[in-house]
Amino acid sequence: MIQPLRKTHRRIFLALALLLPALFLSGIAFRHSWPAPARSQKSAAHRLPSGTTP
Amino acid sequence: MSHQYQAIGWNRQKRVYDLVVLAGVMLYIALFIGLGALLFPYATAETLIIRAAGSAAFLLLHVVLCIGPLCRLDSRFLPLLYNRRHLGVVTFLLGAVHGIFAIIQFHSLGDKNPLVSLLTSNQNFGSLPDFPFQQLGFLALVILFLMAATSHDFWLRNLTPPIWKTLHMLVYVAYALLIGHVTLGLLQSETSPVLVLATGGGLVTVLSLHLAAGSRERVVDLEKLTSVGKGFVDAGSVESIPEKCAAVVSVSGERVAIFKFDGKISAISNVCRHQNGPLGEGKIIDGCVTCPWHGYQYLPETGASPPPFTEKVSTFHTQIVNGRVWIDPKPNPPGTRVEPSRIPDAGVRV
Repeated sequence: MIQPLRKTHRRIFLALALLLPALFLSGIAFRHSWPAPARSQKSAAHRLPSGTTP
Repeated sequence: MSHQYQAIGWNRQKRVYDLVVLAGVMLYIALFIGLGALLFPYATAETLIIRAAGSAAFLLLHVVLCIGPLCRLDSRFLPLLYNRRHLGVVTFLLGAVHGIFAIIQFHSLGDKNPLVSLLTSNQNFGSLPDFPFQQLGFLALVILFLMAATSHDFWLRNLTPPIWKTLHMLVYVAYALLIGHVTLGLLQSETSPVLVLATGGGLVTVLSLHLAAGSRERVVDLEKLTSVGKGFVDAGSVESIPEKCAAVVSVSGERVAIFKFDGKISAISNVCRHQNGPLGEGKIIDGCVTCPWHGYQYLPETGASPPPFTEKVSTFHTQIVNGRVWIDPKPNPPGTRVEPSRIPDAGVRV
């Protein structure tokens, strides 16, 4: 009664062990590369108190 | 053990378990929202609630999924298994809070029904970065709802254990959907490596624990026992079985628990009638084989639960020859009385 369940469970996890890492890695690899907000050196320097280093 | 219908058969252990879970969840949510409000002052209260509840549900689902294989690998984790169903229900409730707030925030302000909007607003199935991840989360929530709604023993009895177990194995589908939901949703907009590592680490942990436990179980299932005369098979030495505990062997494709107690040997099916718990990993308490999962009890001689309970498991005929236990692989109908084999004094042959 329970051995088929164990076999099903093993098969499910073998499939998930192949499928989920592939999904996860593809999701990370193909994600949008969001452009970093443009920031000129001048404006950055303007926001820092004088005498501090960024 | 279930004698009559009760909403929840409360006992001290269940109360302590639930209080710890509740306190842990409240603390996590309070910390998440408190720190989130401090570190990200531009985040709205709804956003913080959505993320706190969603991450708590995802984290708790990992805990729920790790408990089973951890118990197979190390019995010290068994107390976690006792009330795992309540953990599953809490996971669903947190997921529901996440889902409801997300639907209100993102889908309730248009002229479409919010659910229709959720299911139809993004149809970009061909693109990974723009995949409709919310629909994956919705499907996972539906599965978690079905499981939470049928988690009571009432449904276990009415659906029968095989159907109930199959339904509850859908948790693995829900987990796969949620990995997709998080990877194609949150991790597309939040690029912090901490989140990527945490999600990847959780995935690796769940998969490795299940594969390790599954491979260990397979070794027991494949073990071949020697058979001679009358079909009895050699199930190991009497000495190797600890007092009031069992040795588990696999015969005819199913497992049998061979218990040693009070100078006697009895063999019953290893499968508890309640939730297929491994009886052979339990002990004899007050003269009864006690399931390590939820404490269901059976008399070792008959495989029947003591009155007024009605659960019964199969029994097996045993013999002791030259200090070894021999077992008839043919199971007797559940509840059939079989006289235990007496362990002879040391040095005396039977």
